[in-house]
Amino acid sequence: MAHQAHAYHMVDPSPWPLTGAIAALLMTSGLAVWFHFHSTTLMILGTILLLLTMFQWWRDVVREGTFQGHHTPPVQKGLRYGMILFITSEVFFFLGFFWAFYHSSLAPTPELGGCWPPTGITTLDPFEVPLLNTAVLLASGVTVTWAHHSIMEGERKQAIQSLTLTIALGFYFTFLQAMEYYEAPFTIADGVYGSTFFVATGFHGLHVIIGSMFLAVCLLRQIHFHFTSEHHFGFEAAAWYWHFVDVVWLFLYISIYWWGS
Amino acid sequence: MCLCGTKAKKLPVLASRAFSSSARQLKNKVPEAQKLFQEDNGLPVHIKGGTGDMMLYRATMTLTIAGTCYSLYWLLMASMPQKKA
Repeated sequence: MAHQAHAYHMVDPSPWPLTGAIAALLMTSGLAVWFHFHSTTLMILGTILLLLTMFQWWRDVVREGTFQGHHTPPVQKGLRYGMILFITSEVFFFLGFFWAFYHSSLAPTPELGGCWPPTGITTLDPFEVPLLNTAVLLASGVTVTWAHHSIMEGERKQAIQSLTLTIALGFYFTFLQAMEYYEAPFTIADGVYGSTFFVATGFHGLHVIIGSMFLAVCLLRQIHFHFTSEHHFGFEAAAWYWHFVDVVWLFLYISIYWWGS
Repeated sequence: MCLCGTKAKKLPVLASRAFSSSARQLKNKVPEAQKLFQEDNGLPVHIKGGTGDMMLYRATMTLTIAGTCYSLYWLLMASMPQKKA
């Protein structure tokens, strides 16, 4: 196909940025409608539209890269920069919640009893489920690296096994954390302790779910022969994201679960 | 066991190979997909896959327009004075 004299990707016109923007509009205005008029229809509509947009947009990226060959080395370089910049923005997102936690916990007010953890708060034992969760995520970091090496060495079966194991560990973490949330002796409404705990760990849990979904898509793609030993950037992006999620947990564990208990 | 470069001879060997994985013995359909999506028919990538693409696009766009109208309806509702009970 000799239609272009350069190695860059001039994308086809696409409706997904528009549908995505409208989805954001519907989700946010739907949230306001829910609060004021007790109707969830608009918000649900927005969420469905978001899911449809994400599915079709990323389906198209796979088509452009794997089926049309548009992801040449310079294009891949751009995608790498993009993923790194996105993860960096997520680091700043979490930094804010850590700032909030340290702001409140380093100088606890008289209203809290002048101590941290605040008076009346029964913290979770950091050496029970939270420690297991740490082991689970660290193990998943090992298995995702094993998956990467398997892909690079053309070991199809091992890549599928190690990637499946990584996802299973991710689901196990989510399950354990859900149990912890249910059994916790404090809630999000329990002062600044509850707020900082559940908002920070809650957003982290959401990122674990997102990361698991990303890895699951990679597993499907690996099963369908999309990745080659030299070119598998989608998987690398998922692995970077997964390591980021792991590191955030380590900071959460040390700061909130351990130091904060 | 390296599987790269063994495309053409795969079919007869698959039946007798002892794969312990529980995944079905999938055939590599990437070359067919490459042919489909590289066809010089002027179609943009988001509808180049066939009828299913067009249906999904139409459903998405319908929700987009209907949703926009619905949000404008709520905007009108929210901007009108609330009746006192």
